[in-house]
Amino acid sequence: MRHVLWMALFACLTAVVFGVVAKGSERQRLMYGLKVLAEFMVVAFILGWILYFLPLR
Amino acid sequence: MVAKEINRPAAKAPGRAWLLALGAWAVPGLGHFLQGKWVRGLLLGGAVYVMFFVGLAIGGHLFRIGPNDQGLSALLQLLPMSANFGAGLLYIGCWLTGSGFVEQAQRVTYEYGNTFLLCAGLLNYLAMLDAFDIAAGRKQ
Repeated sequence: MRHVLWMALFACLTAVVFGVVAKGSERQRLMYGLKVLAEFMVVAFILGWILYFLPLR
Repeated sequence: MVAKEINRPAAKAPGRAWLLALGAWAVPGLGHFLQGKWVRGLLLGGAVYVMFFVGLAIGGHLFRIGPNDQGLSALLQLLPMSANFGAGLLYIGCWLTGSGFVEQAQRVTYEYGNTFLLCAGLLNYLAMLDAFDIAAGRKQ
């Protein structure tokens, strides 16, 4: 669980910076930041499940 | 329209923009604060500071080229070091005090910490470029 929280914190902070430096109106930048956050989380969960089924040990 | 945008010569950036970019690199958020962009400066600076100090707290370490690093070893340290260097005075302060360079690979969150520290520097480079663009009049 701790790993997910660190990943979520990382995604939040990165999304804040990406959203702030993006071009467009405040609403467009907010939506972009939320989109980046969602992409980080979704990709991390998908990769996590893929790695779970791989026989890496 | 697109071709017109691409062929348009870029306006020369004033010296003030370069100074602000230097300030933005040295102190995360400062470049925006000096231009009156308080919220942006707070968000950018806050994100970089939180990422840097959380990275140190959970066991990450900063990279540098030491006297024992020669050839390929020095080259391998160069890329992460340049990412860490983006944190500006935070990195220089750690370098002067010798703190934050010890590897703590035994900790579970060691790799997370390294990633936080590397990205803190890289995100501050982005913030620095944003401050430069605003000062040069290329962005609102």
